[in-house]
Amino acid sequence: MADTRVIRLPTPSPPSLSAPSSYEPHGDEHTPLIIDNGSTTLRFGFATSDTPRTSSNIVAKYKERKQGRQLLLFGDAVDVESGAKAQGKTPWEGDVLLNFDAMEHAMDYTFIQLGIDTPTVDHPILMTERLASPLHSRALTSELMFELYSVPSLAYAVDAPMSFYHNNGAKPADGLVVSFNTASTSVIPMLAGKGIMSQAKRIPWGAQHSAEYLLKLIQLKYPTFSTRVTSAQTSWMLHSFCEVSPDYLSLLRKLRDPNQLRAVERIVQFPFVLPTIEERTEEELARIADRRREQGKKLQELAAKARLEKLVQKENDVQYLTNLKERKGTEGKREWQNLLQSEGFSDDVALDQAIKKLEADLKRTRKKEVEGDDVIEEPSFPLVDVPDADLDEESLKEKRKQKLMKAGFEARARARREKEKEREEREADEKRDEQDRERDPSAWTRKLRDEHQSLLSRMKERSRRKVALTDRKSAASQARMKNIASLAADDRVPKKRRKNGGEDMFGADDADWAIYRKINTGAPSSDEEDDLLQLQTVEQKLLMHDPTFGDEHTHAAMTSQRSAFMSAFRPQYEDGDVEGHARIHLSIERWRVCEAYFSPSMAGVDCAGLGEVLQNVLTTFSMADRGRLVNNVFLTGAPAQVPGLVDRLHATLRPILPPEMPLQIVRAADPALDAWRGMADFAKTEEFKSVGVSRAEYEEWGAERIRRWWGGNWNASV
Amino acid sequence: MPPKGSTRKKPSAVPSAEGSATPQVPSLAEQLSYLHLARPFKNPNYTKNTNRRTKNLKTVLGQERERERQERERRRGEKEQEMEVDGEAHEPTAEEDLPSYLSIEAPPSVLPQKHYCDITGLEAPYTDPVTGLRYHDKSIYELIKGLTTSAAKDYLSARGVNPIVK
Repeated sequence: MADTRVIRLPTPSPPSLSAPSSYEPHGDEHTPLIIDNGSTTLRFGFATSDTPRTSSNIVAKYKERKQGRQLLLFGDAVDVESGAKAQGKTPWEGDVLLNFDAMEHAMDYTFIQLGIDTPTVDHPILMTERLASPLHSRALTSELMFELYSVPSLAYAVDAPMSFYHNNGAKPADGLVVSFNTASTSVIPMLAGKGIMSQAKRIPWGAQHSAEYLLKLIQLKYPTFSTRVTSAQTSWMLHSFCEVSPDYLSLLRKLRDPNQLRAVERIVQFPFVLPTIEERTEEELARIADRRREQGKKLQELAAKARLEKLVQKENDVQYLTNLKERKGTEGKREWQNLLQSEGFSDDVALDQAIKKLEADLKRTRKKEVEGDDVIEEPSFPLVDVPDADLDEESLKEKRKQKLMKAGFEARARARREKEKEREEREADEKRDEQDRERDPSAWTRKLRDEHQSLLSRMKERSRRKVALTDRKSAASQARMKNIASLAADDRVPKKRRKNGGEDMFGADDADWAIYRKINTGAPSSDEEDDLLQLQTVEQKLLMHDPTFGDEHTHAAMTSQRSAFMSAFRPQYEDGDVEGHARIHLSIERWRVCEAYFSPSMAGVDCAGLGEVLQNVLTTFSMADRGRLVNNVFLTGAPAQVPGLVDRLHATLRPILPPEMPLQIVRAADPALDAWRGMADFAKTEEFKSVGVSRAEYEEWGAERIRRWWGGNWNASV
Repeated sequence: MPPKGSTRKKPSAVPSAEGSATPQVPSLAEQLSYLHLARPFKNPNYTKNTNRRTKNLKTVLGQERERERQERERRRGEKEQEMEVDGEAHEPTAEEDLPSYLSIEAPPSVLPQKHYCDITGLEAPYTDPVTGLRYHDKSIYELIKGLTTSAAKDYLSARGVNPIVK
């Protein structure tokens, strides 16, 4: 199906070289430097620019194999070298900043890109940190900045309130900020422009988890997919296709219908390689056939030559031995014996036997060449009929040999005759069948159909019995246990018979042993195979002669039937369809993945969903405050761009609030970059100077303490 | 704007005696690499404590927990002391509980969880007793019956249920 819905994976474009900007404008200005240190992307720039420079937050220190050079790559550049991608390290591990070597390299990159060439970084810095960041992370970042780069002052902000600040015209406002990050989703209430961090809550489910969930669902749906789906491709699929549905349950009910399912599915076409069929032309085929024939002929010639040689050899041998025998007459007895010994014969008789064998061989081969290959001659057994007493020792041996040969010969003849008889019988059956069919077709088809049905029911019965046997409590397995117990019991024979001297007569009658077939569940019985063969022949006949019996009635078709829903959910492509096999169909997964924000237990994370958390946070405030918060629900963070989120939150929050309370949900103007912009706005105000930690304060307090302000964390703050 | 490569040391030119004339063009990766770029802003006197291993997430969180516990105990100790000293009920200082990374985590859900089919994602009123998978209707049940145990375990792990069978 040449679908317009089939979407190919995008080919990645190589990263471009970005030159470092010139440092001139900021030379001695002490312009604040804003760094939004995110789990996925690093955004940095001076406070005076409108947009930050962005780069994904991966560092790779890699030794290139071809030239043996050490490379240090950052961000999108890591994609250039595939080996580097495997060794890429991020400073963040999920939600927590842990890897400081990587952090150092990232900071180096930012400062190099900004073109700083002074001996210290002489700008006040405003950096982001995670909501309620662990003190270890903060301590190490502070240490890095102050000791290694000697910055004059450092302030920490939480990204979401800064985005809120930017979107509300850079003045204090009320609102409930929902921040969607890579590895977590947080809810932060803001009253009078101040972040109430003690009532903030964090859900450990973010865009990274969503991507992993999508990948897992795809792997479960397509366990034998030919290519490996990378996480970059999964993120692309997540961004392009996944949405939040405003009412998940009604959506599910709608999608029970296979047609609806097909209407919403998206098909992603992965790159595939067509198998190269070597098309040999006619001439090539003819040439190959000729070559093969010639080789065959050559072999035949060689074989004939070899046979001829052997024949000649044998004739020579016979001649030689007969000569030898003739010499017997001329030599003396002892010399004759010595001669024989030297030739390898123990005595006269052995010599005679050898001559006789060689002559018989020669005769046979000569006859073969004359007559052709299979000559079935009736071997004669003269000695068999002669009674034993008349024969001497040697002839007795001969007689025994001949008896064996005769028995073998007769057995083979008998087997041949029986086979012929069977064949004749079968032909007679078929002929009778044909006559029946021609005489009365409907009756014949009815008979066959009955047979078909009975075979099917027998097979079904057998499979049902097998399933029942696995269940310990079913009647079939209890009956089996009873049989086993009775077989193994000490008192098998009823008392009466034993008194009269009866013994256990099990096994006298051959049918007794059939009980072991019933008990032994493991062995596949030959009955099933016989049934299957018979079924096949019956079906063949029906297919040929009965117009109403189609392919769909055959046993094979019925067992492999899939419901209409499953074929819409996971369409099967034929075996040769390489293109089809490299496709992924996403239908229910498009909403299922994002639904996990609202109920993470779907994906195994034991946590409340976004709706419940919002409810919990709101209940900790008074009604008046709640009104102020709900009037401005603000969504920020790059994953907040998923479609359908606003409607869903509306549907979640509206029922839990009093009807007259106005509810407004707003998404940030630019969810990914607004946090940086908010920080840039803030850095231009006077207040900025008072929220940072200066160098002196750092040395006095240590790395963990910060100043408490409206946009920063509260832990270990003054 | 001078390209980044210009601040690097030029790759040594092949001596003409060997005959190969083309100088090596730095590959894209090399151009993007900033290993050899000057970093004047770094403080050469600061040596990072290289003995310190990068702590992993578990230890960091453990440290946080320890710290929180100590804080709480310290505060409780202070409160008790104050009560002893004053001998009268002291208003507990309206000290907001300082949020830490762990305290801010959302609690487990108390709402009843909806069952979703493990295979398709639709609603799942039924559960297979043998594997524990939830399914939507009988055609999917036929599919489940045909799954191997490892495939069934994979489906369960997507839901977060990890049955450990000895």
